[in-house]
Amino acid sequence: MSISRLVGLGARKIIEYAIYLAILLIFVIPFAWMILGSLRNETEIFANLYPFTWHTIVPIEWTLKNYLDIFGLSPEGQSYGLNFQRFLFNSFLVSAAVVCSSLVVNTMGAYFFARLDFPYKNVLLVFVIATMLVPFQVTMVPLYIVVSSLNLEDTYWALILPWYASPFVIFALIQFFKEIPKELDEAAIIDGASYWGVLRHVIVPNAIPGIITLALLEFQFIWNLFYWPLIAISNNNLQMIQVAISQQTTQTQVYWGRTFAGATLASLPVIILFLALQRYYVQGIALSGLKG
Amino acid sequence: MSDMVVATRPAREGLWQRIWRRRTRNYVIAFLFVLPALINFTIFRYLPILTTLRASLWQYSLLGGYGDFIGLQHYRFMLEDPIFWKSLRVTAAFVLLKVPLQVAFSLVLAVFLRQERWILGVVRSAIFTPVVTSMIVVSVLWSMMYHSQLGLINSLFSIVGIPRQAFLSNANRALPAVTVMMIWKEVGFSLILLLAGLKGIPEVYSEAAIVDGANRLQIFWHVTLPLLRRVLMFVVVTQTIFSSQVFVPVYAMTRGGPLNATKVIVYYIYQYGFLFQDMGYASAMSIATLVILLVVSGIQMRAFRSEVEY
Amino acid sequence: MNIKRLGRVAEGVSRRWFTWLSLVLVLALVVVGCAAPALAPPAEKAPAEKEEAPAGPPEKVTLRFLAIQDDAQLNAWKEILQEFQQIEDGKWSYVDIQFESVPFRELFPKIEASVAAGLPWDLLEADGPDMKHYGFNRVILPLGEYFTEDELKQWFPQSIEEGSFRGELYGPPMMQSCSLMMYNTEMTEAAGISPPQALADSWTMDEALEAWQKTTVDQDGDGVPDQWGLRWGQGTWVGDYEHGIFHRSNGEKGSPTYEGMGEDGVSFVGYLDTPESIEAMQFYQDIHQEYAVTPIEPIPNIFESEQAAFMVTPDNRIGELNRLYGEGEFSWGVTGIPYFVTPVCQTGSWHYGISPNTEHFEEALAYVKFASSDAGARIWYKHVRQLPANVALFNELPEYQEGGRQHIWFEAMNEIGVPRIQTPCYTEYQQMFAEAALNIQQGADPADELSATARRIEGLCAKYAGWNE
Repeated sequence: MSISRLVGLGARKIIEYAIYLAILLIFVIPFAWMILGSLRNETEIFANLYPFTWHTIVPIEWTLKNYLDIFGLSPEGQSYGLNFQRFLFNSFLVSAAVVCSSLVVNTMGAYFFARLDFPYKNVLLVFVIATMLVPFQVTMVPLYIVVSSLNLEDTYWALILPWYASPFVIFALIQFFKEIPKELDEAAIIDGASYWGVLRHVIVPNAIPGIITLALLEFQFIWNLFYWPLIAISNNNLQMIQVAISQQTTQTQVYWGRTFAGATLASLPVIILFLALQRYYVQGIALSGLKG
Repeated sequence: MSDMVVATRPAREGLWQRIWRRRTRNYVIAFLFVLPALINFTIFRYLPILTTLRASLWQYSLLGGYGDFIGLQHYRFMLEDPIFWKSLRVTAAFVLLKVPLQVAFSLVLAVFLRQERWILGVVRSAIFTPVVTSMIVVSVLWSMMYHSQLGLINSLFSIVGIPRQAFLSNANRALPAVTVMMIWKEVGFSLILLLAGLKGIPEVYSEAAIVDGANRLQIFWHVTLPLLRRVLMFVVVTQTIFSSQVFVPVYAMTRGGPLNATKVIVYYIYQYGFLFQDMGYASAMSIATLVILLVVSGIQMRAFRSEVEY
Repeated sequence: MNIKRLGRVAEGVSRRWFTWLSLVLVLALVVVGCAAPALAPPAEKAPAEKEEAPAGPPEKVTLRFLAIQDDAQLNAWKEILQEFQQIEDGKWSYVDIQFESVPFRELFPKIEASVAAGLPWDLLEADGPDMKHYGFNRVILPLGEYFTEDELKQWFPQSIEEGSFRGELYGPPMMQSCSLMMYNTEMTEAAGISPPQALADSWTMDEALEAWQKTTVDQDGDGVPDQWGLRWGQGTWVGDYEHGIFHRSNGEKGSPTYEGMGEDGVSFVGYLDTPESIEAMQFYQDIHQEYAVTPIEPIPNIFESEQAAFMVTPDNRIGELNRLYGEGEFSWGVTGIPYFVTPVCQTGSWHYGISPNTEHFEEALAYVKFASSDAGARIWYKHVRQLPANVALFNELPEYQEGGRQHIWFEAMNEIGVPRIQTPCYTEYQQMFAEAALNIQQGADPADELSATARRIEGLCAKYAGWNE
């Protein structure tokens, strides 16, 4: 291998890492600003924006006060009755419940559309997809009327039931299921497997990355719900985290410190979940072996 | 249907037997698979949609309730409402700018980030962070980055000698500025869908292509892309749908301004329904949105299908 | 006919058959779903009759109270409730309240959704200008007959006006507000300015502009001020409460410009778009663009984090400064609000409202009466620290007395405080005005904006025509 080629390889490596670094900065700096902003005094957050220096992002004076406030551990947080652990718990409970039920219901639905024989299936598919096309801001109040006439308002059910099936997830899983060679389930059927058996033993194992991805997206979708819990939930003990964060804005001011701390707490669980599921997104060793 | 011949039946057969013939039974079982989802959609999505349809034909406000039946008057008013058309144009511009760019970015990123290396894991996670960051914080942050006087972007401009620019308070730049922010926020969303799609492509294909002497770009163009088309179609269709319903960044940052430059259709619908006390008209505009989106996504799905169905 | 074709027909039959089956199923579901809401129509009950007072120890009653999320307010109501349970020998000890609180910006949509769904809530917190709207749509009950003349004298007349619809009281006030100009004394002293302390000596806009220009400091000369002269209004938003003062203040008392709206409560052309109004909004644009004493795009907490010298705000800012810096640590001062022709501060009353859907009218009314009385207002003030609407309370608070630091707010309230325009169309007006003001601030032509906006508002308000006849 000639020296110039080696130099060329080195230069490529440097460029490659420079690109990674650029991507990291672009995507992580805002996030870092949020986390570090939650660790500073409230008056500091917007005081050092200009000119851009180290302290625009990094606190001058570090403090945990914002977190003590939102957990109700400081006198101020206590006097205001703040209880973010409860809101986090609610969000977690609701998101987990929706993801679990949605995994079953949507997988079954997608299997129906991807594989099973049924007259005018495509019409039915349009019926499913069309539910995504109306802006929620308009159907929200009618949905609230439906939910309250079922006597579900102000319960966890109001947050879970309307979302246990999702057109988005069904539509996505159809695509992932169709990628699986049809011969596989035909063979299983000939071997005497039921539809259910095919779904469990052929389709699902072969579509794990897709299913995991949609579970994750569904989780973050429910986790980030704002307008629906705001309307459907009145009892503050059942409220979800995003509403709790926005409640730190009153008619006269914004409690920026608490907002930043709450937003940090609200984003960490989903990121941790994503990190834990990383291995489902990567190619096997074989291809990476090609690299120098 | 290959088993059509089998399906012929003797002339006289009871209804009961007809129901329980084999294929029929399979239909019933098949339907049971989709039934739980359909129940959900019927109760929690179609009831509200039907209510919306009904409201669009009536004088209706949330506080005042239903007034007179007015037929298609809302729809007629819509045709003459310049701001409705303006907001459709704004929404279309947003979608046309955002969806292609976002899909292209996430496609390129997906191809480069699919391998298992620690640094790529870090980069992947980084790109995913904006997806889960609270919109309140994101919009405050970007308002400050775009700020006409203090903004980081303007600080960078002034270093290279470009005069300070207004972004969010300039009618020509506000929409592109919001679009860039939303691409930044949501590129991770389409990225992980594409990564999952790539994961499903057996490696034998690209290995075979390498053996045939294809270079990376050729592999991407002739092997990866066709195999990814279903997931790609899904990403394009759903991103189009979601982007045409964009609301939160406008609600949180620009409130439709300046000069209606960011007044996307859903924000206008929200204003009418909740603030201008005319849910009837808001409903009519929503039904119009539904119809438009139905046509657009139908065309998209067809385009993807005809292109690759061999 | 061959067998194959026969098969196709059979296929067609059974296919159709199943399509029908599924269609029927879906339709059945729709019907069931439709019937469910129909079976449970919104409760439209008349207020409970007074005679029905239970003889024995009454059962526990929980009132549902829809309010803004503001911890200080909630704490106040909870303490008021505790007191309320003690009064009249514990007559109301069986009453409890469940607070349902939403962020300020979402309060109105939340109320709309609750009303549309016909939920049996009892009490709500309403912004003064929205009272007409609620009255017009019968979202709250008229309460005039339950208050005597003497009881009405407990509150400022501006508050009564804001709480009334067609001349009848719909809800007593919880607090008042009036925006004046606060300043950071370190910054004004550094610039050698001493703002007038008496309300009568308030600056005109031109005098104020001079002060704002002196306090806008750009030390390194890079074109970006290190310190700004002014933030007009709370938060980072634009709204009628503070920004509507510009155009109203440029008219003589009683002139169309000063009134801001026609007597019919739905006319705006000739009121919002007068030459005086345009001139005033031109000045509003100039302080952002030409004189650049305030940033075109707002900076959060600009006054609170010591980046601006002046701020037009109600006195609730004092509590916030105390919270951020510690009691009395931030050295602030206050002067009257700058004006063109007529000094104006728009009053901001907040009110209690009782829902027609309530099943506990008597209890709800008793609570509202107590909370807005002298005793309730006292507790309220302890927590919220905002200009009370209660006259008796005013007279016992030292900070509002002659010589007290907040006395000027009391004076302003009485002498230049006017309610915002009184119309059921306020929400529409406020939305459109805010858009216009924002456009003007960012460079749009004030004459074009105001005349187009006035016409659009009239279009949106046409549905209320004749509301006050």
